[in-house]
Amino acid sequence: MKPRSILILPLLIYCQTPVVMAQLPAKVNDDAALMIATQQVFREIAASMKSYLVRIDTVGGTQPGEQLNLDSDNKEGRKRSQNPFRDTLGSGFVIADGPATGIVYSRDGYILTSSFNFARRPVLISVTLPDGRRLAADLVARDHVRKLALLKVDAHDLSLPTWRDTQDVQVGEWAIALGLGFGGREPSVTVGVVSALNRMQGNAIQTDAKLSPANYGGPVCDIFGRVIGIAVPMAQRAGELAGVEMYDCGVGFIVPQSRISVIAPQLMTGKSFQRGWLGIQVRSVPGVGVVVQSIADPSPMRDAGAVPGDVVKAINGFHLRNYADLAKQIYMIPAGETLQVRLFRDGSAIDIDVALASAEALGMLPEAEEPFDPSVPVEERTPEDQKEPAPPSP
Amino acid sequence: MKSRRVGSTRGFTKAYAVSQPVRCKTKLTLGWHGQTPRNRAIECPMDAARGVCPCRRNREKARASVAPYASFHPRSLQRDACPCHPTQARLIDPAPQLVHDTHGYGQYNVIPCILGMCGILLSIITPQASAGGFDYAFHIAQQRVVKLYGMGAGQQVGYGTGMIASEDGYIVTVLSLLVSGNRIRAVTANGSRYEADLIKRDADRQLALLKLKWPEDVHQPLQDKPIGPLPFFDFTCDPAPQAACHEPLLPGDWILAAGNPFKIANGSEQMSLAHGVFSVRTRLDARRRTKDFPYTGDVLVIDAITSNPGSPGSAMVNLQGELVGMIGRLVISNRTHTHLNYAIPYDVLADFFKQATQASNADMAKTTIPTEVEAFDTGIRISRTGYRTILPFVDRVVRNSPAQRAGLRKDDLILSVNDHEVSDVSQFDKRMNVRGPAETVELIVLRGRSIVTIHIEAPEAKKAP
Repeated sequence: MKPRSILILPLLIYCQTPVVMAQLPAKVNDDAALMIATQQVFREIAASMKSYLVRIDTVGGTQPGEQLNLDSDNKEGRKRSQNPFRDTLGSGFVIADGPATGIVYSRDGYILTSSFNFARRPVLISVTLPDGRRLAADLVARDHVRKLALLKVDAHDLSLPTWRDTQDVQVGEWAIALGLGFGGREPSVTVGVVSALNRMQGNAIQTDAKLSPANYGGPVCDIFGRVIGIAVPMAQRAGELAGVEMYDCGVGFIVPQSRISVIAPQLMTGKSFQRGWLGIQVRSVPGVGVVVQSIADPSPMRDAGAVPGDVVKAINGFHLRNYADLAKQIYMIPAGETLQVRLFRDGSAIDIDVALASAEALGMLPEAEEPFDPSVPVEERTPEDQKEPAPPSP
Repeated sequence: MKSRRVGSTRGFTKAYAVSQPVRCKTKLTLGWHGQTPRNRAIECPMDAARGVCPCRRNREKARASVAPYASFHPRSLQRDACPCHPTQARLIDPAPQLVHDTHGYGQYNVIPCILGMCGILLSIITPQASAGGFDYAFHIAQQRVVKLYGMGAGQQVGYGTGMIASEDGYIVTVLSLLVSGNRIRAVTANGSRYEADLIKRDADRQLALLKLKWPEDVHQPLQDKPIGPLPFFDFTCDPAPQAACHEPLLPGDWILAAGNPFKIANGSEQMSLAHGVFSVRTRLDARRRTKDFPYTGDVLVIDAITSNPGSPGSAMVNLQGELVGMIGRLVISNRTHTHLNYAIPYDVLADFFKQATQASNADMAKTTIPTEVEAFDTGIRISRTGYRTILPFVDRVVRNSPAQRAGLRKDDLILSVNDHEVSDVSQFDKRMNVRGPAETVELIVLRGRSIVTIHIEAPEAKKAP
């Protein structure tokens, strides 16, 4: 059924009910009729979206574990032995091997889903198309920042869903999430509203529809059955599984159409997005700001001319007060994108352009080059900092 | 939507308690101002809206079951509101003294109709707090669930919820430590306290049937209030055609769960209401801690958060107030590794209730003992050497075996068995071991770059019992 006809049906029901219910108090039955009309729409959306949902099954791969803490007594030794710029894997969530959900993105067999579904790095991915055909799929590319992934199957003339223009999405409108994570052919339906726009540096829309591994990678639709975006796990920290622990809690994230239309064409070319790093280790000093302690060699910041002792004052025009501000400005920006960084050195401002690098492109981090001054109090650490005794900045 | 009040329920209860005569005309007129009498007309609005009764089958049978109540609320019969739920009819006219049809308007008369029209006009021009549309269903559910208290230990809490299944006090709930102790107490919606006995336990479906003790059964009666026939959910509807017992439940339908999570409510306090939508009906594949959950039948996954201590046993109803399921025990899904919010479907509950109330203990046991006959050998041989995760690659196919006849080949990678994903050899073994003696096996295998479905039939000789 086309989205337009979905709209008409509840309206008809709603308009007719006052006549039918004339003998009963109007308000009570208006409410009830509205409820019936709404649930009718939810049913229609579940039925109509079925023809765009694909079921993804993976075989093999291992559970990504927590960072191995081999030498927990000797923190210095541990720091040296590990690359501080490596992405931590995040929550202790255990990924199951049940099916996952994706959505048809192009007529010639591109399937859009969430990179969460491939965190185990499976040896084989198979896709069951809406018509029941089961095909082997290739993982074309993933976006580790927005948690998206693009698959390719050998299929043609697939039918495509209608996408919702992100500009029109408003807080408070219905958001209906669909997924095939419980198995079977029927999608599961969870319903909520759009909670907030422009979350995660404009990369996500927030919803209170229950999002969980059962529907990550699946579409979230508006009340007309148009796809607002793809449901993904997300949190304000790094890691392949970050945000999964928030499943079903009423805080869920959707990568909206406006971002997908930019990211997906790049994924199609095989380009994956990695998390971007500046390559510096910083300290928050109250009243001063974010002080650079040491800089990896090579690293984007070293290439741009920063030296230990510089104060990072602003990124892309946003003033930074502490490490948390810095992390917030950077954690959703993939490697390769350029930032405008304002440094303070000896009382004067220096503006530099820094292209973020991936973790692999960063060199060793020297021991603290800036002399540590114990008289300067270190600002209260964020929970993230507590895990890593000396947090490298992203 | 989330913060919607269950507006008029308190008023509803009040309508029961007040025994002074109220005239129909007055009720209807007052109704538009959002006061108590307005609730009088909530009488099965869905049925009126559709012009049909939720129960399409067994209407005559159900009508007969309503008959005992006819003596003290005749109007409920005229209305024939919910034949499968006789007590809903009672709810409409809870006590005979409330009904004073002094004007002889009857049910579908001209004057109420005109008044109704006026009501619509009034409701349009007068600002009025909305009741929401969930209140009717909540009222039905909340009257028919009990707060349960019993044995608890550690994380197994000593409180929960149960559903009244008959007017003489059968209670359907989940099987847990709560009902395993030697003292179970139940508190009904009006605050009456009872002791309860465990009548039947079904370990396979993790369900339990309790029976409230009447005053003469207990030496020291707990209850200080008079107890009348209890409002109850009808579990005797024939579950085979699901639509006969309640409106067909489809993904996206509103559902409401009434129960006592975290034992927030005490005595006559209202149960907690949770709302959400029905997500999907699927087979349960779950565990509790490290043990697999014994029930592997169908469940109704919902998007309301009900995996809370105390919620198991909650009644799940649809917008019409019809029972569609019961919130199950707290489990973790093996498919998603998440806590699952789900309900046991009505048909499973009705089946259990039928068996538990009719069958003797021996009969119950007979239905649950698994068959001893071994499943046929498919002839698949799997390589079991390798690292931690051994993928189920076919190492060898026995000649003339069912698997070979079905076309399975060496080096095929088995992806799923009977629609259950298998990602390593142990899971493959597990799935193959739970087969029935002559059950056909459907394998999905990867052969090179193509995916092939293979049906392995039982050999002819062994098909006969």
